[in-house]
Amino acid sequence: MNNNSPVELKDLYLPVMAEIKDVKELTPMETLYTVELPDGAELGHTPGQFVELSMFGVGEAPFSISSSPTRRGVFELGIRKVGMLTEVLAGYEVGQKVGIRGPFGNGIDLEAFKGKDVLIVAGGIGLVPMRSMINYVIDNRDQFGRLIICYGSRSDTELLFTDELAAWEKDPKVEYHVTVDRGSEDWQGKTGVITTLIPGLDLDLANTACCVCGPPIMYRFVLMALKSRGLSDDNIYMSLERRMKCGVGKCGHCQINSSYVCQDGPVYCYTDIKSLQEAL
Amino acid sequence: MVQFFLESDRVTEFVTHLMDQKPVYAPHRKGRQSFAFDLCANAADAVLDYPRVMQSVKKFFLPPREELLSFNLKENSFAAPAIDPANAVFLGVHAYDLAAVHRLDHNFSKGQPEKNYLARREGAVFVGVSFEPDAFHFSGSVGIDPQSTRGSDIFLTRLLDGYVLEVLTPAGEALMTGFDLPPHEAGKPAAGHFQQHIFVPQDKLSSVMAASYNNEVWAETSAKCVGCGTCNLVCPTCYCFNVEENVDITVTEGNRERSWDGCMLRTFSEVAGGEVFREKVADRQRHRVFRKFKYISDETGEPWCVGCGRCTASCTAGISIVNIVNKLVADYESTVVAPI
Repeated sequence: MNNNSPVELKDLYLPVMAEIKDVKELTPMETLYTVELPDGAELGHTPGQFVELSMFGVGEAPFSISSSPTRRGVFELGIRKVGMLTEVLAGYEVGQKVGIRGPFGNGIDLEAFKGKDVLIVAGGIGLVPMRSMINYVIDNRDQFGRLIICYGSRSDTELLFTDELAAWEKDPKVEYHVTVDRGSEDWQGKTGVITTLIPGLDLDLANTACCVCGPPIMYRFVLMALKSRGLSDDNIYMSLERRMKCGVGKCGHCQINSSYVCQDGPVYCYTDIKSLQEAL
Repeated sequence: MVQFFLESDRVTEFVTHLMDQKPVYAPHRKGRQSFAFDLCANAADAVLDYPRVMQSVKKFFLPPREELLSFNLKENSFAAPAIDPANAVFLGVHAYDLAAVHRLDHNFSKGQPEKNYLARREGAVFVGVSFEPDAFHFSGSVGIDPQSTRGSDIFLTRLLDGYVLEVLTPAGEALMTGFDLPPHEAGKPAAGHFQQHIFVPQDKLSSVMAASYNNEVWAETSAKCVGCGTCNLVCPTCYCFNVEENVDITVTEGNRERSWDGCMLRTFSEVAGGEVFREKVADRQRHRVFRKFKYISDETGEPWCVGCGRCTASCTAGISIVNIVNKLVADYESTVVAPI
């Protein structure tokens, strides 16, 4: 046995009780929850990390952190209603408390992005974690080069964070591109899948780092589009979704070949996962 | 190492001596060919000559169901679980199951050490016993001899008329205090022969697996496999778990519990929205076998399969992990030219 006395070991599975400070409907399916830890403690996360949120008697599930660590005091989770747990959470109101463990995982390697043009490719709900990075760059504008955002959504009625999208569109320091698979009658913007945005981008290839997040099907096609533009593997980062049940590298659910997503990911550099056959 | 002689007639007396000091868990007969580790109430019920127990001693350190926390729904509050250290003697453990415990120790100590498992492991004293390889054991192929004393505090090697008893650690010595045995001078008999073998040295297994990702054996095996997960359930080195909530009938209190889970089950890799990342049974078979012979082994240098033979003995479809690996070995050797 090791020499660690068990009494000194951390309780990995006990949450802290955090208060919901605000609930904002993003679309009929997605809601943004603002959460505060006890005594206003900082979560201390990096963009790309996740927390385990739980409700007693309902369950626990991993959620990406949507706010930037630069926005202090509280953090935000953008959550889509897709299952039992998120359905119950949808009934929660300001002032109620949920269990939080984390932050967990390997977030975006900020050092790899500093000084470079930052290209964000977000599909659908993939914008939720990418928003953390986008706002981090906006709040530390002098540490990064250009900020280029490519956002794709199934339809214009499903666009998330519409107030912020409008602000990014107006911001002269943000290059914002958006497309929807199917636009409604009112849609004035581009129509087409997210990969159609990539060929037209003005990129300084040697000086661009990219982070991709979206539904599983999206990665292979975005990767092809980025590679055909000549972006090198070591400048491509991806946030992958798996079922992180424990968050601490034990339960096995999130494994991609030999890699535990909750430990090595969810954000990976493409050079580190291209040999993992199950990754993309 | 001083060896003592424990004659057959004194085994019950020896078990009683152990029981006087700590709770003793030992194999008990459950059916004609079924054995399971249970708390010894009667020294005479302990069985030291058995082929394998249904579940390894893993079940004491990583229980099939284990409370992670309890909660009160009215107060929206929770409490940490009570975790009792083992503090017991595990008598009659085979070398492969001890090897499995040491592998689990690694899994629960690395990265973020896990209090639940490590606290339960505290105070466990192991009395190993040699075994006679049957039609399923193949631990010799992964470096685990039937008479290996590794991990034991006391080790018993079976003789015709009793056991050679070796005291290997201070904890073992403490257990023997007050129990006198004559020395054994005649040495140990040769270990039993294995009937099952993996036909490649264990340090080559990772290379074999690396060349086998797209082998047809996965599809061939999956044609028979029903994906029931029994192989995961009986494996002494499987430790993956699910987490679920239980609520009492008055909807007042409940607990969050983890339970053994298995990568052979389809839902294991399912995420919200229904995407399953190892949809095919073949993908899941490969994952299981790679977990045992490549993924963890690449870090530690040891196969994570300990050759107990349980998955093969228990498989309802007759799938043999030894046959899978030997097919991969044969294909590897026919396509890869060994360096001179």
